[in-house]
Amino acid sequence: MSGFMGGSQRRMAFGAIVTASVLGLSACGSVSGGGGPQASDELPDTIKVVSINPTTGVVAFAGEAANKGYELAIKEINEQDYLEGTTIEIDYVDTKSEPQTAAQEMTKATAGGEVSAVFGSVSSNEAVAMSPLAEQRQMPTIYTQAGSDGVVVGDYTYRATPLMREYYPLLKQYIEETGAQSLGIIYTEATPTLQDIGSNTLPAMAEELGIEITASVGTQATTQDFSAPISQVLGSEPDLVSVLLVGAANPTAMTQLRQAGYDGPVLGNSGASAGNLDPAGEAGNGMVWAADFNYQMSATSSQEFVEAYNEEFGEDPLNYAAEAYDAAWFLARSLKEAQSADRESVKDAMATVAEESFDGALGEGLTWVDNDLQVPGVVIEYSTDGEILLYEGEPAAAE
Amino acid sequence: MSSFYLTNLVLVQATITGLLLALSIQVPIRMGVFSFAGAGAYGFGCYAGAILVLDYQMAAVPTIVITGLLAGLVVLVVGLLIAKLNGLYLAMATVAFCLIISVVAINGGELTGGSTGRYGVISDFTMGHMFAIGAIALVLVALSERGKLGRRVDAVREDPELAASMGINVRRYRLVAFAVSGVLGGVAGAMNILVRSAVSPLDIGFPLIVLALTMIIVGGSLSWKGAVIGALIFTWLPDLLAVVGEWQELIYGIIVAIAAVLLPRGLYGVYVDTKRSVLRRRRQEATDKATAQTPPPTSTGDTTDIDRLAPEMEAQR
Amino acid sequence: MQDVLSVVSLGSIYLLFALGMSLTWGTIDVLNFSHGSIFMFSTFTAYLLLGSTALPFLAVVAVAVAVGALMSVLIQVLAFEQIIKRARTKKNAEMQILIGGIGIAIIPLAIAQHHTKSNPFGLRESSFSVDTWVVGDLRITNIAVMTIIVALVLWLALALWLRRSRNGLALRAIGVDAEVASLMGVDRRRLALVTMAVAGGLAGLAGVLFTFTLGAITPESGDTLLVKAFAIIILGGVGSMRGVAFGAYFLAACEVWVLTQTSGSWVEAVSFGLIFIVLLIRPAGVFGRKEVRRT
Repeated sequence: MSGFMGGSQRRMAFGAIVTASVLGLSACGSVSGGGGPQASDELPDTIKVVSINPTTGVVAFAGEAANKGYELAIKEINEQDYLEGTTIEIDYVDTKSEPQTAAQEMTKATAGGEVSAVFGSVSSNEAVAMSPLAEQRQMPTIYTQAGSDGVVVGDYTYRATPLMREYYPLLKQYIEETGAQSLGIIYTEATPTLQDIGSNTLPAMAEELGIEITASVGTQATTQDFSAPISQVLGSEPDLVSVLLVGAANPTAMTQLRQAGYDGPVLGNSGASAGNLDPAGEAGNGMVWAADFNYQMSATSSQEFVEAYNEEFGEDPLNYAAEAYDAAWFLARSLKEAQSADRESVKDAMATVAEESFDGALGEGLTWVDNDLQVPGVVIEYSTDGEILLYEGEPAAAE
Repeated sequence: MSSFYLTNLVLVQATITGLLLALSIQVPIRMGVFSFAGAGAYGFGCYAGAILVLDYQMAAVPTIVITGLLAGLVVLVVGLLIAKLNGLYLAMATVAFCLIISVVAINGGELTGGSTGRYGVISDFTMGHMFAIGAIALVLVALSERGKLGRRVDAVREDPELAASMGINVRRYRLVAFAVSGVLGGVAGAMNILVRSAVSPLDIGFPLIVLALTMIIVGGSLSWKGAVIGALIFTWLPDLLAVVGEWQELIYGIIVAIAAVLLPRGLYGVYVDTKRSVLRRRRQEATDKATAQTPPPTSTGDTTDIDRLAPEMEAQR
Repeated sequence: MQDVLSVVSLGSIYLLFALGMSLTWGTIDVLNFSHGSIFMFSTFTAYLLLGSTALPFLAVVAVAVAVGALMSVLIQVLAFEQIIKRARTKKNAEMQILIGGIGIAIIPLAIAQHHTKSNPFGLRESSFSVDTWVVGDLRITNIAVMTIIVALVLWLALALWLRRSRNGLALRAIGVDAEVASLMGVDRRRLALVTMAVAGGLAGLAGVLFTFTLGAITPESGDTLLVKAFAIIILGGVGSMRGVAFGAYFLAACEVWVLTQTSGSWVEAVSFGLIFIVLLIRPAGVFGRKEVRRT
């Protein structure tokens, strides 16, 4: 947990720097647009928001799913007339999975006078490029995914996805049930989130459970063949293996683990979901991970979302869609609270609304801590017949 | 300021950093050194800039100056090491240098921020600084293409043996190419981090080489004007292509391929050819009117051999 | 021992991939940067076909090889020949081909990315299944054995063909001096097309074997291999068949060694650092021909 504290301290320090520089800039009057819809006592007929997400390029799968979540939520908000006479209009802009395009689109959104809020990118790399602009130009921005430091940096930036290190410890119960005494870890150093789990969270969990870590191997973004790290980890004869890799690498690692003769369970991450593990076939069975959402979650609010999503798109929702759905509803509640479409009022209203817990797609009793969402979480096991929900966490609000 | 400028500020900034990055690869190519070390210097510059601002609370201008000098020095050392390599072997060695910079960035602990990188780099950098630095770099590079220096550079590229026999220290020229490329790349990287405020290992590395090379090949590899054309096109093209939606990557690829196939000397080459043929036609008309009134001026004794040689090489190109 | 096996099987994949690139670069001066795209797209085509019918292993290989060869020939005719026609010097042509290849590579990549949303795809629907054999302490899969054998046999066959056959001689002649070779009656165009077809076929074959080995690849997989293959060829020395084999196994050994001896973070720094140092000692690659200057 110490890592998390460090993160939020840095975040506050950064917030202060941003505020200072914004003050400096507005004194010059050059960059700070102060643009956006005018403040008023009531909501206008339409409110414009923009989703700046990748729909082409390497992270397209997440961006597209997120956009579906936004689409469904905004359709519901408008159909229910939740904002009483006001409709939300959403634009979808593609970042092409490139940070520079994401930054450019953020600048466009802030420079135009119409946009009230932005749904920020699912990709950490893009989000880190967008956040300073959001703070500098005072644009309320809600991200999903984007689990790196430097994304939530001030009053204007929120992230409707819990950090993986917050819910990953849910797996402790599963590890205890396996009776494992030792653990071998293979993780990627290419993404901040998985590097953090592999080198901090999981070792801390092991220590609490009194489990020995026999080997820990980091791999690179360019590593495609995992047979060498696998043979190294298996050589240390652990009871249990953890493989923390990005989506596409999971089927390869599982296939090669099975070929190397390891038949036990494997602790993974939610990158294995969404069909990513399917190319591995039978070899993928037995991978277990913690996630913030699964379509089989029992909470009533989650099931309502799954049903509506199925009706709209004819498929079960992914976690990206669920997160985006909650992000859109969070914005809607904030707009209702603000009763004005200007960016500053929206920001203030978000801070007020974030103090309450709510029920959403990600479960019941969801809360915000330091602009980050806290969720109960679930533990999932992969099977070729479909993902199996092993157990769920307790609502954060109940703790 | 106009709303177009504000809306597209990120692209304006990217054009300037992209231009400097392209120049950092173009300068050595103009001297016949096929080095991509400029892209490594760019990555180095991003991180050095971030570290100086965040950890040493340095202001923008000194950050850029120090980063540029450091990057120049680092690349000069690399140049000293690999000076005897040639062609694509040298290119490979510099690619290795770029990749090693990326690995150091991932493993640099607190200093480089691991796979998260460094973020929140906010300083007193203004667009005025940026335009000024971009202009200075462009003028200096443009000057190196003119007069005696320009002709010597051409000689070093086209025929190193001949150049050496005329008393040009080819090795020194090539080392200067490395240092200049390092400075340009480092300054580009430092400016990039100051306007974008964040850098991660994913932002540097091989794709930068591809981008810079595409800019100068499609723009034109032997003149700074080619680099300007290339930087403009490949910074703004993706944004313009956004209207075609999901197939924009495909069209981008087709455009690069067609440009590479049909324009052997880049867009700048097309411009020069057009201008030359127009001039030739005019000169033809002029000669038709007045037939040989004045004899061509004979060269005076004090010009060196290389100076007389250069116009001929110009003609060959 | 298991590590040695890892080195040999990883090195064989690298060899198979680099072989085609090395062949065209060393003979007809085409450094084809769309090789990775051909590699990926031929496998992708096989994957699409498997969506409708379950093909046996050999049919999958045949499809991928055919698609790879076809793409390669098309690229040669539509792009590289045009570039060579227009270029003023050989040096310019090489650069232009490099950039043209990079541009062309984006096209199949964009198509595959669009279709898969960059999710991994595999060839599991094939009736071929990967089995693991256990020999003492060693475990090896049938696909690994096949990859090693195929890589070495093809490498040997190509080397012999270049050395012994008339066409091979002609090709090597082009590699040394294209003008003189032409004067001596070598049909450069036909030979270039054959060479490109062989290289493309090799890319397709490598794609299928690699995908069976890993279980799945992504549209971007080819790009990663491309940089490595470039390093491998340079390391061994352009145009040298011994060089490409040396480079492939050397790089694989470096990577496996660093992975097993350390926590893995420095893999690329060490392998590319070693390449850097080798180049300092042997400026034209380990088996490079000194007299041929390619600048």
